[in-house]
Amino acid sequence: MLIVDDHQPFRAVARELLESAGYIVAGEAADAAGALAAVAVHHPDAVLLDVQLPDRDGFAVATELTAADGPAVVLISSRDADDYGRRVAASGARGFIPKSKLSAATVAALLE
Amino acid sequence: MASNAVTALPNRDALRDPVLLLPLAVAVGLAVGWIGTQQHVAGSRIAADLALSWAVMAASLVVLERPRWRRTRWLLASTPFALLGADLEWVSSHAVWTLGFLLEGLWAALLVQLVVTFPEGRPWSRLARTAVFGAYALTLGGQVVGALVVPDTRDLLAVTSDPSVAHAIDRAQAITGACVALGVLVLVLQRVRALGGPARRAQQPLLLAAAITAVAGLVWLGWVIATDARATTLETIARALAVTMPVGIVVGIGSSRLRRPQASELVVELRSEAAATMQQRLARALGDPTLDVAYRLGDGRYVDAAGRPIKLTQRADRAVTAVTAGGEEIAALVHDPALLDEPALVESVRTTAALVLENERLAAEVRSQLAEVRASRGRIVAAADAERRRIERNLHDGAQQRLVTLSVTLGLAASRADSATAGVLARAQDELEDAIGELRELARGIHPTLLRDEGLTAAVEALARRAPVPVTVQSNAQERLPDQVELAAYFLVSEALTNVVKHASATHASVLLEREPTTLRVTVSDDGVGGARIAPESGLAGLRDRLEALDATLSIASGAGHGTRVSTLFPCGS
Repeated sequence: MLIVDDHQPFRAVARELLESAGYIVAGEAADAAGALAAVAVHHPDAVLLDVQLPDRDGFAVATELTAADGPAVVLISSRDADDYGRRVAASGARGFIPKSKLSAATVAALLE
Repeated sequence: MASNAVTALPNRDALRDPVLLLPLAVAVGLAVGWIGTQQHVAGSRIAADLALSWAVMAASLVVLERPRWRRTRWLLASTPFALLGADLEWVSSHAVWTLGFLLEGLWAALLVQLVVTFPEGRPWSRLARTAVFGAYALTLGGQVVGALVVPDTRDLLAVTSDPSVAHAIDRAQAITGACVALGVLVLVLQRVRALGGPARRAQQPLLLAAAITAVAGLVWLGWVIATDARATTLETIARALAVTMPVGIVVGIGSSRLRRPQASELVVELRSEAAATMQQRLARALGDPTLDVAYRLGDGRYVDAAGRPIKLTQRADRAVTAVTAGGEEIAALVHDPALLDEPALVESVRTTAALVLENERLAAEVRSQLAEVRASRGRIVAAADAERRRIERNLHDGAQQRLVTLSVTLGLAASRADSATAGVLARAQDELEDAIGELRELARGIHPTLLRDEGLTAAVEALARRAPVPVTVQSNAQERLPDQVELAAYFLVSEALTNVVKHASATHASVLLEREPTTLRVTVSDDGVGGARIAPESGLAGLRDRLEALDATLSIASGAGHGTRVSTLFPCGS
């Protein structure tokens, strides 16, 4: 898996959470450019992608990643799904998890 | 300029002063008339020439009161001498006869120039310039060529006396003359149709006279071309009809002078209720429907009656007259430059209007200040919105981000702890979740992300989903609206739904967003207990500044037992 988020402490705890659930975390990225580069190198099965990245809109990155038969994308944000309306569905991502609800179970539910 | 000419000392170059040209024209006329009688010239012809000469000279004096008609004045003052000069053909001396022959048609060319450059001496158009050129070529050029060939023993310049050559030149002159007359007629008719306002009043009589004379000239020359005869009677009639031209000039000036209202009438006119605005009253008083009033504010800017800023720019087709009161400019009248020909009228309007305009100016100043206040309120609201967006962003990127990370960390810790510790951690995480939820709600209230990203309808639908009572949303506002309108409409719906939940005991509420070409109407209604009003400290009252900055009006209908209906109309173009 690849973890994309600009908040380093969050990336650290997310990695630990995923790894303890048996996922292999291939890499981390802090922005959209880093994410696209890491996907090209590691070819992850899934990407945990923050909606608000410093350089680009996370929805646009999700659309780009999923369009080219790429990895499954799970969007995360410290906001609610309700704050984004139809954009989640339109982005091509598997689903959306509010960050505070992030757990092995919620990730697994979207990736199955 | 004109008054300078009138009051100039008599020893100034007399020939430059039309007043001194009058006795000269009378004397020359009498002399030429005496010669004509001696030579047995037809009395009607002598009378026609003297009448035309003296009438034109008189008109040149009346024109003195129009400073901008200076060139016209000099054309008028030259014409009698050209006309009487042509009559030197009646003299038997060969030299004088030849001079008279050369001058024969010059007066007509001068009148053509006068008409198609009337009143300011500039040709109306390219065709007018051509007509003037044609007229001089025909008369001066034609006579010089004619002098070389005319079979008359008195002609000193003759090089041949072949009558057929002279006849051909005569015909060519008649045909060219008819073309010039036709051109003048067309030009004059175009001009009459194009003229409006004060210019029409002063200029129309001359133009009609010129049209009549041109027709007479056409008939005369047409007859000459058709019959190959001299047609002396028709020529005399055409000359006699030309007298209507100086008469037309005098009538035009006289009628605009008669039309000049007295000061007392002006006061009545300017205070009358017949016209809705000061601008319309002044336009009526001055007879210029294009007139505009620009009020001058204390800081030197100009505004219209509604307080909107106006720029006074220099334009050739507009003239500006300042209106002053107590030595200070209070307004500027922007009008047809033809009004400058009636300085006395403009002056009396200017003095009479000063009093009334001062009141209007104060009103315009207040309106302008109101517009400024509204603009400044709009800027304040916009600045506040920008600040809200920044705070929301900071909350999200800062505190919320850290609390969320903390929550996930707690969850991870709980999964690894023994059951007793896990219970404690789970309670801590629940508490933290509530705090995060409240913070998120707070951030939404400050500046809703969904509104910014997805627009009003999506944001209002999200509000409806989160509301504790069922809310239906109907909207045709799919395209984006100006930021300030979207925000104000969103806050209005949010505030109204909050009130429904808090006070209305309603079972259902509905939100209606109706987009029309230039407006957005937002209506929130419920089936609750009614009896609501906008209390001074309430949330709806707090939106008033925001709504007024957008010229939006808020209304509330809430009869006891009939539910509540809050409605706002936002003006917003497409």
